[in-house]
This record gives sequence, C-alpha cells and structure tokens, in this order.
Amino acid sequence: MTDVAFYDFVRGPLLRFALFVFFLGIAYRFFRVLFLGLPPDYAKPKGNPYLMAVKKIVIKPTMGWTFNEIFSRRAINFIGGFLFHLGFIGLTFFVPAHALLWKEITGIPFPVLPNIVSDILAYAALGSLIALTMHRALNPVLKLLTGKDEYFANFLIAMILFTGLLATRWAGGGSYIWLLSLHMFLADLLILYIPFSRLSHFVYYFLSVGFMGWNAGKRGVSF
Amino acid sequence: MAVLSKEEIGQEEVEKFYQFCKKSIDMEVASYLEACVRCGICAEACLFYMGENVSGRIDPTLTPAYKADLLREIYKENYTLLGRLKKLFGFGVKIKPEELKEQARLAFYTCTNCDRCTKACPMGIDTPRLVSIVRGALTHAGLTPKDLADATNLSVEKGSPLGVDTQTFLQRLEFISDEYEVNIPIDRKPSEYLYIPSSIELMKFPSSVASAAKVLNRAGVSWSMSTVAHEATNFGLFAQSREVTREMLRRVLQGAKDLGVKYIIAPECGHAYQSMRFIAPNVFPEEWDFEVLNIVELIDRMLTEGRLRLKGKVLKETATLHDSCQIGRRGGVLREPRRILKELAEDFRDSVLIPEHNICCGGGGGVLVIGDADYYRQKAFISKMTLFDKTKARTVVCYCANCMLALTKSSQELKRDYRFVSMVELVAEALEEET
Repeated sequence: MTDVAFYDFVRGPLLRFALFVFFLGIAYRFFRVLFLGLPPDYAKPKGNPYLMAVKKIVIKPTMGWTFNEIFSRRAINFIGGFLFHLGFIGLTFFVPAHALLWKEITGIPFPVLPNIVSDILAYAALGSLIALTMHRALNPVLKLLTGKDEYFANFLIAMILFTGLLATRWAGGGSYIWLLSLHMFLADLLILYIPFSRLSHFVYYFLSVGFMGWNAGKRGVSF
Repeated sequence: MAVLSKEEIGQEEVEKFYQFCKKSIDMEVASYLEACVRCGICAEACLFYMGENVSGRIDPTLTPAYKADLLREIYKENYTLLGRLKKLFGFGVKIKPEELKEQARLAFYTCTNCDRCTKACPMGIDTPRLVSIVRGALTHAGLTPKDLADATNLSVEKGSPLGVDTQTFLQRLEFISDEYEVNIPIDRKPSEYLYIPSSIELMKFPSSVASAAKVLNRAGVSWSMSTVAHEATNFGLFAQSREVTREMLRRVLQGAKDLGVKYIIAPECGHAYQSMRFIAPNVFPEEWDFEVLNIVELIDRMLTEGRLRLKGKVLKETATLHDSCQIGRRGGVLREPRRILKELAEDFRDSVLIPEHNICCGGGGGVLVIGDADYYRQKAFISKMTLFDKTKARTVVCYCANCMLALTKSSQELKRDYRFVSMVELVAEALEEET
C-alpha cells in the first residue's frame, strides 16, 4: 500500500504544508516591501495617478504589441510569455481534476474547462516554456541576466506540465498512481519554492506596475 | 558641496557607495528591484544597446536591468531574509574597486534616464530611478566622471555649467536684444511670469532666447527674466547630488520670490522642466508656490486661448519631431508640441505611432558633457537615425536645447545632413505681424 500512502501524503499533509508556507512566505515578502514606506510627494500631479495605476495593472499584460519593433524582435518572449501565463493560470485552477481539488480545499466551486481546452493550454504552456528556456540559454542578453534560479524553476514547471499531461492521457497500466503522485509531489515542491524565488514576481507585479501607472498619471502621459 | 572626481578608488569609496545604496531603498525602489523577471526586453528598448546592435556588436552589459544589478544585490543582503543569512555566513556582496569603475560606465556613460525601458518593461520597472540611485551613490563616493563633475561645480560657483555668471548673462541678453531686435525685461517688478533660459540656449542658440522673448511679448503677458534665477538647467540631477540640486533650485526660488511671480516658464531644456516641475515642490514643500510651465506648454495654451495667432505654415519641407524625454515622456508635454507643429509644418510626419515611444537624442542626463561617453552617444544616435530615416525627413524639430546640441554634434561626427530647428524659433517666425 505504499503507493496509496504516498498519494495520500502528497495530496494531504504535504499540500497543506506547502500552501501554508506559500501564503506565509508571500505575505511576508509583500508586506516587507510595503512597510518600507514612501516619501511624500508634493508635486501637483498632471493626471489622475490612482486611476492610471489601476488601469495599468489591468491592461499592462496585453499592451506588449504596441511597442511593435520590440515585439517583432522579441516575439518569443511576448507570445511565449503570454501563452505560458495563460496556460499556467488556466491549468492551475480550471482543469477538472484541479477544480475538484480546489473545491475540496476552499469549499468554493470552481468553473471547469473542457478537456480539449485544457489540453491545448497544456501543450501551449509546455511548448512555450521550452522555447523560452532555449531562448534564455542562447540569447546573449538573457545569458548574462539568467541565474540558476530561472533554469531550476523552468525545469520544475516543465516536469509538472509533462507529468500532468501524461497523467491525463495515461495508457501505461499499473504505475499510474505513482505518476500522479509524482505530478502532485512536484507541484507541492513548486508551491514551496515560489516564495523563495523570482516566481513570486506575481505579487510584485501589482506594486511595480502600480507605481509605473502612478508615475504615468503624475506626469500626465498615457503610456 | 563640490562634486569630486577621484582617480584612486579605495575601500572608503566602496563603503560610501554601499551605504548610499542601502539608504536609498523605499517601497517603490524595492518593488522595482524585486519585480525584475530577467526577461531582458528592456535591452531592445535601450538606445545604447540598439545602436551597438545595429553596428553588429552585441554588448549585453548595456541591458538596463543589468545596470541596476549591484544595487539589487545590496538591497537583497540588507532587506531580505535569505540575503541576510547569506551575508551572515560570509557570502555577501564584495565590491572590488574596479567594479565601481564599471558602474560609472553603466550609470553615467550609457544611460540618459530616458525612461523608454520603463515603457517596454512588462513589469513596469522604472530603471532610470534605479540608475539615478547608482549615480547618486557614485557621486557620494566622489566618483563622478571628471567632465560632469567640472560642469556641476562650475554651475555652483558661477551659476551655470557653461560658466555664465550674472555679468555674462547681462552681456548676452544685451547682445540678443540688439541682434534680434527684441525687448527683454530684466528684474521687472511685479511680473506674472518668470522666464529662465538655459545657458546652452544663451551661449549656443541665442535665437531661441530671442524667440521666446518675442513670443512672450506678443502674448502680452507681464514677464521678466531674473539676474538671480538666470540658469534653468540643473546639473545636480545629472550627478544626482542632492546638495547641488537644492542649491540650483534655491536660486530659482529666490529669483521667483523677488519678482513675486505666479508662473515660472521653463525653457527648451529637459532637466530644467523636470527639476522645477516635479522635484522643486519636494525640495521646498512650504515655499514652492508657483505653477511651472514649459515654454511649449505655454505656447500651446496661448494658441488655444487665441492670445497668439500664427500667420501660416512656415516650414515648407518634410519635417519630423524629436521629443525631449524629460519634457515629453517623463514630463507629460507630448500632445502640445504635436498640435503646434501641425500648425507650423506643411508636411509633418511623426516618427512614432505612440508619442511615448520616441527615442532619446543620446546626450541627455549629462552624457553629452562626458567626453569619454562620446562613443556611446554616437552609437545611440544610430538608433535615433533609424527613426528619422523612416519618415524621410531631413528637418527635425526639437524642443530641448540639450537635445539639439547633442543631435547636431552626433550628426556632424557621423557626417549626416539633418537640420535641427527649435520649435519656439519656428513659432516666433510664424507669428502674425502686429497690426
């Protein structure tokens, strides 16, 4: 019964522990920055800083194409990055199996994606992750900027996507439960890893893009 | 107050640099430092990187994100749990003296604080803000590039980075009013508007000053220039020396208070507008009670109100517009120059779809005065040229004297035949005859 015991462990206590560390860690990182405070600004704003901050937070991820010459030179970054994030969010919360799990944990019913959409998202996310990683390894600018952190995170996420895909389309017989357990174990690892790495950029997005919008509003520019 | 330019870098300088960086962290800076996902998109937005790239040489160290990396390391080991642990076990940041030289190259030679990378960054990171901190730390450690340090010190001693003292100022104004037949009121009390020129205009583009005077006279406002506040450019911002910034602004404040003005008109100079509009209210929160307008902003307002009238389109050839980063992208005066230029030029072709995306001249932020940075400035001009050539225009209208000087210089050095004209001059030329 070791397989079932392991399955129960990664789905139960380990997941709970990982989520606990995740929320604690993310809250710590977010509030640590928040508590650094801001100096007052007495310059009269030209536009509406607060409105612009909210607007930027909402629309910024869809605005990459407006910088068309940068977009064309870095299509892998923009398209791959967009597809990956879309896939990551869609898969994490709205795949039938995951939605069930989230409902168990939170008690809130999650909407469910049709299987075909989940599959497309998974292939898109995995494909773009591989493309992005290769880009990182080959582009001179990215080579300079990238550390071990990025490669480890990309590898971990790729493995989760891969084992997840295998698990939904499994035709291998008896060791299915081990594969599923491996998928969940890696996911637990990822959840644990996020607060300690740059993957926590999603919380800082709200701060840094918010500040960018705030500054744009202060200066009265629309972009 | 003098800004130093030391040759020898020792442990003391390293320590000063480190402490300044450590003290400069606030919520905004920390969120920029934390938010970077190392995507490197900013490189494609940076005119220095692009210029090298066009020439077939890729220099990844010109990536904006990389320019703030030392600051990021210092932030981490002082403000984050993991960083503190690392430092405790002896794996902290160890800055070698040569590294500070490299930081000076990155912060002073290859960044004009133009803000284009912020607009391209998916996380909205304000790299100019971070580079400014690195500049401030280098200045605090006495490592400002020599040319910039000299100009900054000259502006404190004599009142202007070009060495224009009050006497020279008055002589120049006398020359300008004679040569261009324009009346320039000096120290007239009471006045509503104070116009402060920059010394680049005064010494190198005197017709700009004359044109501004003509425009102000025609608009019928009560205005004056001041012998106390006679320099609008603020080199304290280039070197990021708070004392110098404060001192230069104090003179402006003094001059404006003496004349009892309500409005201060910033000339065609990027950092002048930036310092008076956005920085001065924070340096003198109690006393700074003026509305600061750029001359272009004022002209647009006067045209809309009908206080100025143009006789027609004076620019016959195809023309394009060069935006000043500190007045435009970082100052919000972008629609105004376009509205004015449409009235002035028969064939105005904008080089960018979105005004905020325009490329910097390559000489802003003090890069122009640093002789050692000439190579980078010329490379940056190549990226600028791609935009000019896209519109097929040879005439470029500017609204910043520093931009005009940098563009003219680079253009001559690379043997190009662009013609750079000042927007205010065009307006003065197009003013309707007085009836």
